[in-house]
Order: sequence, then C-alpha cells, then structure tokens
Amino acid sequence: MANPQSSAQVPVTVLTGYLGAGKTTLLNRILSEQHGKKYAVIVNEFGELGVDNDLVVNADEEVFEMNNGCICCTVRGDLIRIIEGLMKRKDKFDGILVETTGLADPGPVAQTFFTDDDVKARTRLDAIVTVIDAKHFFGQLEQGSEAEQQVAFADVILLNKTDLVSADELKKVEDKIRGINRYAHIFRTQKSQIELDAILDKGAFDLGRILEFEPDFLHSGHDHNHGDEVASLSISADRPVDPDKFQKWMGALLQIKGPDIFRSKGILAIDGAPRRYVYQGVHMMMDSDWGSPWKDGEARSSKLVFIGRNLDGDNLKRGFEDCLK
Amino acid sequence: MKLDLANPAWQQTLPPARSLATDAPVAACAFSRDGNTVAFALGDGQVRQMPADIKAPIPDATPALHSGVVMALIGDPVGDGFVSGGDDGRVLRVALDGTATELLVQKGKWVEHLAAHRNGAVAAGVGRTMFAIKDGEVREFGPHQSTVAGLDFSKDGGRVACAHYDGITVWSIGQVVLPPRRFAWRGSHVALKWSTDGKFIATGTQENDIHVWRVAQATDMRMQGYPAKVKSLSWTADARFLYTSSQPVFTAWPFAGKGPEGKPPLQFGDEGAGLMTVVAAHPTAEFVAGGYDSGELQLGDIKTKRSVVLKMADSSAITCLAWAPDGFRLAVGNDRGDLLVIDLRR
Repeated sequence: MANPQSSAQVPVTVLTGYLGAGKTTLLNRILSEQHGKKYAVIVNEFGELGVDNDLVVNADEEVFEMNNGCICCTVRGDLIRIIEGLMKRKDKFDGILVETTGLADPGPVAQTFFTDDDVKARTRLDAIVTVIDAKHFFGQLEQGSEAEQQVAFADVILLNKTDLVSADELKKVEDKIRGINRYAHIFRTQKSQIELDAILDKGAFDLGRILEFEPDFLHSGHDHNHGDEVASLSISADRPVDPDKFQKWMGALLQIKGPDIFRSKGILAIDGAPRRYVYQGVHMMMDSDWGSPWKDGEARSSKLVFIGRNLDGDNLKRGFEDCLK
Repeated sequence: MKLDLANPAWQQTLPPARSLATDAPVAACAFSRDGNTVAFALGDGQVRQMPADIKAPIPDATPALHSGVVMALIGDPVGDGFVSGGDDGRVLRVALDGTATELLVQKGKWVEHLAAHRNGAVAAGVGRTMFAIKDGEVREFGPHQSTVAGLDFSKDGGRVACAHYDGITVWSIGQVVLPPRRFAWRGSHVALKWSTDGKFIATGTQENDIHVWRVAQATDMRMQGYPAKVKSLSWTADARFLYTSSQPVFTAWPFAGKGPEGKPPLQFGDEGAGLMTVVAAHPTAEFVAGGYDSGELQLGDIKTKRSVVLKMADSSAITCLAWAPDGFRLAVGNDRGDLLVIDLRR
C-alpha cells in the first residue's frame, strides 16, 4: 500500500451540494443510524442537525490565500484548527464529516489535506461526496459556477430527489453530470437513502486505491473540447514514461493551468520501475507515491485523468507523449 | 541559580521527577502564580492539579470541569489557582480544591487561547473575538477577519495582540478607547508572542516561517527556512533572543542591538531528538527547554551552547512545557496523557 499509516489516520468525508439538495438529510441519517461508528461532524449552521450523540462542531469556512503567489492555493485554516482540536480529545473518532455551504467551492477544503503536515499525519481525505437535487440541477448550473464545480470535484455523486423528475429528465441530468465528470460514481437516491458503505471510507484520495475506486479508470476516453464548460478527459499510453520529463511537464502544466484543473490523477508506468507511480492533484497541489507492483506479463500502460475548464485535449496528449520513452 | 546541564547522569536517568499517566492528550500545562501548584489541561475535560513539590502526594482526580477538551490553561493572575478554557465555550477560574467559577461562556465556540498579565487581566480568544476580563468586567474586541489563532499581552498589560489571517491586530484594553492597530502580512498566522521588553511581536505562520514586527516603527521582518509551521515561540526573559520550535535543534533569533536582519539564528543542541514541537525559555536565566515529536526533552544553555537530552522513558510527542516562576521545576505534557514534573535543582 502506498501509505502504511493510512489505517491510523481518521478518514474525512467532504459533503458538498447546493442548498436544499439533501446534505442535512444525509448527515442526519449517517448520525442516527445504528452502525456502531462514532463520527465528528463539522457543519456551518448549528441547529439543523437533530442529533446529540456525536460531536458536532460549527465552522465558519475561513479560507485564506497562501502567500506563495498562487491564486488557486486557498486553504481552510479553520479546518486545520478544528482537526487539531478534535485530535486532542480523549475519545477518538471513526470518521470526520465536513459539510460545506451550498455555494462553497470544494477546492479549499480539499487543498487543506494537501497543505498541512499535522492534518496529513492524523487524518486522510477519503472522498468528496456531492449531493445533487435532480429537479433543480439545471437551474442551479445557470446561477453560477458553484454547482458545476461541486460536480467536477466529486468522487461520489448522490443524484437525489429522483422521485421528483421523469425518467427522461433524470437521464438528461445524468448525462449533464457525466459531461462534467465522467469519473465519479453516481448513485440515484430519494431522500438521500444510500448504504453508508457506498459513500464512507472509500479511499478515493488514497494513492494506493485509485484503480480500485474507479473501475472505468483504465478504459480509454475520448477527448472533448467543451470550451468554457467543465469537462473531464483521460489520456493513456503504452510506452514507458520518462520520470524527469513528466515531472517537468506536469509541474509547468499545473503552474499555468492549475486554476482551471480541479482534479487530476494518474497511474504511470515509469521506465524500468517495478511498481506503478501514482499521483493525485487538486488545482496546483499534488501528492504522489509508488503504488502496487506490476505483475509479470501485465501490460504496463499509463493513464492520466483531468477534470477542469478549458482543457485542450490535443495539447495535453501531445505534452504527455513528449514524456514517453 | 544553577542548573547542572553538564551533569552526565541526566543522559542515563531522568533528574528527580514525578510522573502520572492519564489516558487523555495534554493540551497545556501551567504553574500557579506562587509556584506551589502545577496543572495540566486534559482532553477529557479535566484540569489535573498537583503540588509542584515532586515529593508531595498526588491528590485524587477531581471531576471534569469542561465537557470536551480543555484547550487552554494559565496560572490565575489574581490568585493561586488557574484559569482554563474549553471547547465547551467556557472560561473558568479554577480554585485549588478543583471547584470552578465561570468567567465567560460563548455557546458553540471554542476557547482556544488564554493569556494573563500580572495586573490581573485575562485575555481569551474565542472564535473571531478577543475577550478581556478584569475585575469581574468582560469586554469584547473584534470580530477579527478570522478566528484568533494566538494572543498575548504587551509588557505593560495595556494592550493585547491577536493573530489571524493576513496579519495581527493590537487592541488597547485600558479605559481610554483607542482604535486598534493593524499589522498586515498575508497568510495564516498560527502563533503569537509579544517580546518581554514590549518592542516586538512575533508570529508563526502556516507557511513555515516566522514574522516579527517592531511595534513602535511598524516595520517588519520575515524569517524562513523551517521544515514545518512554527507553532511555538518563546522570548528569553531579557528579550535578547526569540526561540522558535520546528527545527531539530534550539533556534534563537538575536534581537539585541540592531536585531536579526541579515543574521543567521543561533543554533545549538543535539540534532537526534526529532523535530522540536514546543520550546520554553527559562523565566530568569539563560536556559531553554525543548520538547520533541519523538517524546524526547532537551535542555540547553545559550551562553555555553551546551545541552543535554534528558533520558525519558517510553514517551510520545511533547505537547506543552511550563517553567515554574522560580525556574527550578519544569512541567511537561505529551499527546498520550503523561504528566511530568521535573525538579532540576542541583
């Protein structure tokens, strides 16, 4: 496994979604169901949750811009503080749930887990779960960039309130979601009814589990050019990757295009290396490590995935091909 | 006073000490104003008090005072007990018998930072607001643009500086109302200490550096090169040096004369103990104590550059250090719940 410490780290699930999509309903269900687990919940509004047996902490979504000159390097400092505070408790948690406000950009909350060493040592970002109101999704897309960003960042999508739309409408919503993010798991739900195993402790940000989490990951995708819209694309290659060239290319790419690239991940067959090289990024921040070994006779192919705005598929493909041996 | 830093026996066995194992992480520790009592802030809501004299018996635990974590703890500036702050939003005055009276309550907030001045004032950082408490009167300062992440009194006790995003704010807390002064530096400031001579305010930042302002001139300086964010700062009693955590060795910036600009910090001590998590300058002499993420403890003398890594039994990351007012005893807490008082008299 890429990270031997991961079992000691408390998994953190980030819950996003527009106002009224069903986040609070989902949280109430997680907290009231008999699952024998203990969660800390970080929310923005007290009082909406009707539970008293778990710890609920109020947060103000205090985002700060880092001093490194990068406009997309924004971090939730309040989350760092709250997680440090939670770790001082005698009672430990099986998981932490972070609810964001309906209009929140999930970037800063995700980037917090790439930024702070203490947070990284004690917790791990498990997955970003986005709840979508099937009836109002198209309207919300028109109101601003938030609904689109929340889909783009998601590892898991709860397409909720499916009982309020026709089969035809539902398909349109699902196609739209797929157009933005082809790599998230979509679950159709009513009243946020979902098996908790489907959304908690998924390991979506665990470098060692990138393949496991996304069964479609290695199926090649075709490149779309969506202009200003958020879209996702993948690039694959069968020739081994030159690690130095790749580092240079990816570093420069994220430096320039970081603000437009919400999520990126990759599994690379490095020339001469017995193990997969895996990486995962949010905007300009990135983590990488050696993953599982290649099996004898296994085809060593590399794959990159990008979810973002203004993605130039041909250009990205050419850039990656220049990194191949 | 004499501390025997060259004592080779300390590398084999700990100096005379008393320890108590609890099962709750220790967030803070402090001595009482008279130095006779020491207390530890625990992650189960207890403020665990015991006599500073390591030979005196340890009294039984008293009931938890806070409902969650005791996040901050200081000696009471107007008594011989303590003042505590918790994640239940309460600031409590804790008597020696373990009973408490409420000084402040802010429901739904965490009391993460406390400071006191010998004039009797207590400052509490609660969410984005700073509360100054004196003679039974509570006054509110703020809100700041983000949660107060560190605060400290000026030398004369008339002002309190608060750290937050993009800089610090200095409030006059006397009866004459003056506008606050803002000192700007972008980023998240996560620790703050006002120098013992009142001239400088130092902060540690989320981005692994420290920032220091000259209060009178409003000029500032930045020191970089730390491998981690600097959460612990400590000025020497004579204000000649600022010690900072987050290095393997003692790291002291010189503030005598023209200040530290263009100079490297003084660094000394054994590098093998890990990364320093807490640093505490001695209250009267030129000694310093450093606690490590490995659980080790190092004592140093800036004059001779000598140091000794104390032989600790199986330990875990040190979370807090406090010197007794006379400087003969040192209280230590770690994230596993070990409470330690060391007697360093020769």
